[in-house]
Amino acid sequence: MALCIWLLLMIVCAAIVIRTPVRTDMAAFLPRSSSLAQQTLAEQVSKGAASHLILLAIAGASPSTLSALSKSMAGRLRQNAAFIEVANGDGESSIGVREFVWRNRYLLSADVTADRFTVAALHAALENDLGLLGSDLGALVQQSLPSDPTGELPTLLDQLGGTKGPSHRDGVWFSAEGDRALLLILTRAAGFDIDAQQRALALIRKAFTQARQALSGTETVRLLESGPGVFAVRTRDTTKRDATRLSLLAVALVAGLLTFAYRSLRVLLLGLLPVASGAIAAFAAVSLGFGFVHGVTLGFGVTLIGESVDYTIYLFTQTARGDSARDTLMRIWPTLRLGALTSIVGFSAMLFSGFVGFAQLGLFSIAGLIVAAGVTRFVLPHLVPAEFFAKGTEPLARPLLAVVRHRAASRFFVAVVAFLAIVALASHRDGFWDETLSDLSPIPAEAQALDRTLRHDLGVPDLRDFAVFKAENQERALEGSAVLAVALRRLVRQRKLGGFDVPSQILPSEETQQERQAALPASETLRNRFDQARAGLPFRSDTFAPFFRDITAAKTAPLLTPANLPPVLRLRLDSMLVRRGDGWVVIAPLRRVADPGGVAAAITAMRLPGAAYVDLGQESGRLLQTFQNEAVLLVSIGSIAILVVLLIGLRSPARVVAVSAPLAASVTVTAALLTLDGGKVSIFQIVGFLLIVAVGSNYCLFFERPEHDVNERSRSIASIALANLCTVSAYGLMSLSHIPVLHDIGMTVAIGTFLSLFFAAAISTRGAIMRPAIAGERGRNAPWPGDERDHLSSP
Amino acid sequence: MSLSRIGVGLSVAICVGFAATTPLAKSQPTTAISADWGLPQLMQELADVKSASAQFTERKTMRVLTAPLVTSGTLAYTAPDRMQKTTLVPVREQFVLDRDQATIVSGPDNQIHRFSLSEFPQITGLVEGIRATLAGDLPTLQRFYIVELRGAPADWQLLLRPRDARLARFIKWIRIRGSQDRIEAVATKGSNGDDSEMSIIEDSSDAR
Repeated sequence: MALCIWLLLMIVCAAIVIRTPVRTDMAAFLPRSSSLAQQTLAEQVSKGAASHLILLAIAGASPSTLSALSKSMAGRLRQNAAFIEVANGDGESSIGVREFVWRNRYLLSADVTADRFTVAALHAALENDLGLLGSDLGALVQQSLPSDPTGELPTLLDQLGGTKGPSHRDGVWFSAEGDRALLLILTRAAGFDIDAQQRALALIRKAFTQARQALSGTETVRLLESGPGVFAVRTRDTTKRDATRLSLLAVALVAGLLTFAYRSLRVLLLGLLPVASGAIAAFAAVSLGFGFVHGVTLGFGVTLIGESVDYTIYLFTQTARGDSARDTLMRIWPTLRLGALTSIVGFSAMLFSGFVGFAQLGLFSIAGLIVAAGVTRFVLPHLVPAEFFAKGTEPLARPLLAVVRHRAASRFFVAVVAFLAIVALASHRDGFWDETLSDLSPIPAEAQALDRTLRHDLGVPDLRDFAVFKAENQERALEGSAVLAVALRRLVRQRKLGGFDVPSQILPSEETQQERQAALPASETLRNRFDQARAGLPFRSDTFAPFFRDITAAKTAPLLTPANLPPVLRLRLDSMLVRRGDGWVVIAPLRRVADPGGVAAAITAMRLPGAAYVDLGQESGRLLQTFQNEAVLLVSIGSIAILVVLLIGLRSPARVVAVSAPLAASVTVTAALLTLDGGKVSIFQIVGFLLIVAVGSNYCLFFERPEHDVNERSRSIASIALANLCTVSAYGLMSLSHIPVLHDIGMTVAIGTFLSLFFAAAISTRGAIMRPAIAGERGRNAPWPGDERDHLSSP
Repeated sequence: MSLSRIGVGLSVAICVGFAATTPLAKSQPTTAISADWGLPQLMQELADVKSASAQFTERKTMRVLTAPLVTSGTLAYTAPDRMQKTTLVPVREQFVLDRDQATIVSGPDNQIHRFSLSEFPQITGLVEGIRATLAGDLPTLQRFYIVELRGAPADWQLLLRPRDARLARFIKWIRIRGSQDRIEAVATKGSNGDDSEMSIIEDSSDAR
């Protein structure tokens, strides 16, 4: 009957799981209440122009060799359609943009108005040109003068240039120290397209190798890579490698331990049944509750319900020779049930989190543990071979029995250690919480440091300040951004802002383009006015033929659309002008905000729908703050709920103390150990603390449990030791991972559960039990009267 | 034809060239003209000059203009690589080249433009040519130019013709005229037909 229900449940769940979408974007993990700005920005991280960036440095040879390599590599990469732009500082970099701006200067320049082409204005422009010709910029002015006497280009290049590039050496970009040649690449594919990024990286490495082979003296040269795509590829590789290698190792290790203990392959596999059933059911439950499952939920969730492997260990190991699993289960079920309940109650606090990810984790662990405990209770007994008992577990109990035997000394020791831990925590400076968002990222610290160095070298600004607003269509968005530009220019003049980008600089609205065309005088009119303007100035009359030709052409030229922008500008436009739902959002990057308050006030004061100033750093900080506050709150609520459940289950405050004291001590000591060198506690470690309590509470409950005789007690202790060995080895291996999440959780749980084992042995163990078994009698048939009373009666 | 930043670089480099050539060595009693006076000796004399300042007048003839433009101002040089040109008439403008770093201060609101010279590889040749003359660095000079010396120590002429085709696209030749360790005039012929002549009168008050 139980088997049938279980099979049916699994089939239904599997059917749901197959149809469930798994999402991995950050936006899906954010709080449901997050603003449009937050969501759009989260999306920008994975799809915006910045995600197409690859930063390269070539190091390890003389500057001339590095320069030659840079040129050779850039030359090879520019042949390839996978790259929109390959800039290394030589003359070829961004030629396309310069040509485009030159060709379309009369449509792009905000200075093009009817006033620009009156006799007086033209005369003033020519006088200005004359002054420039005499200056040190004379040769420059002379080159463009015949086509551009009104000087549209210098203004436009200033506008589009943005920040300054790095310094040059031997004709290419170099770091300030001169030890690295630098390249900046834009891939056609966005950063989230990991397969395409991987291909792009392969092309880059191939070009590097070829460039190296073509030159001598390049044996010691290294290529350094960074950027969102590089990180994405590397994280996937590391995750794959860590996940496969570490989980294979963990499985091998745990399977080895269990094989040694059980000496039965069938039982070994049965041990996985509850956790596997739990995971499938939990996946289905989250799917039903949320409509999708986040990748993070999936990864974490399985670790959260990992303690259900312990349930089977308790069951199998505590079954004595000649006993049936069913009898054992009857005996230990109240304890097991209470252990599972504490975990479920502890995790259920997460259900109320505003963060979708947290809430999913809560639901996942609740559903998973209920099903896993149910399978242990109702399904496993039918499947365990009748004659089974765990042959190899006896030696496991010995070290713990020593602790139990010297309880008084052990308790004193625990008290001293816990006291020291409290002192260490109290004297910890600068707060415990890790408030640096980058520490949460899956990218190792060294890679982040390299990224900062290369960005600094190349002068790529880390965009964190934006002006945003909404518009109903693209034309409105472009018109709005021209209005925004006026306000932002005022802020730049007031030195509240260093600079900015708006989409209308790259693509003016159709209306603006038409206005500019209308402002250009007709050919005859222009010639007449120009002749009058030139009077009294020493310009040759035939000099300006290109100017008349260009104006005439511009007057009837087709209007610019996103489609005829060069790729680099298109990319910039697309990341500033984003379609969202049935409307558009303009995201204008701001540089060097000097007066955030003033900038925010000026932007909000504009009559643009949803206009706001967004400081991404502050937003992330705020998000992290919320995250942490919530984590602490949830852990507190969870702890209280656990105490309540224990009180109900154990019916004695003294017993609750005996069970919870070791847990409090081990979390405290673990926190102290983790922050010993001034380190901080991350969100992942908070999750780790929760796991310590969930797993450790089972140890405490079993130690605290009144056993009938010494054999039962030693089997019980052996089962705890075996469960702990498995947990410590699995999480210990996880702590070897290069991914901060896995490392943090692995480390925390491995240390914490190991401590709980010994602390539980010292503190939770009852005083009355360690009497010798009566010879010739099966212990469990002769319960100690005192224990029995303890077990059943209320305090 | 797009006006690229290379254009900026070129103009700057030409200016720099002038600036570079201006520093004048104060006349020091030089030894009598020996029979083997030549490039190495001239270069050695120029290399001995540690700093100098001068007045200049520059006359530019340009294709687009019907009349030449005349400017004047002051020049200063500190060995081995700092050069400054300050135009006073008709409009005030300052140009400084310090090692690789160029700075222009110009306009009514004293706008500052900064850039690094090596951003423009073609121009580096031009600037290095003149800076090398100033510093008496013959190997560098000959890396970029075919160098010809005429005349005698009291009245010599250095003719520099670019070796590199890219450089030749901008400039036909540079002619530097001087006496002893003192530079008196720099003439530049642009490849587009424009030319420029700068006459230099050294301040006698300079310490050598």
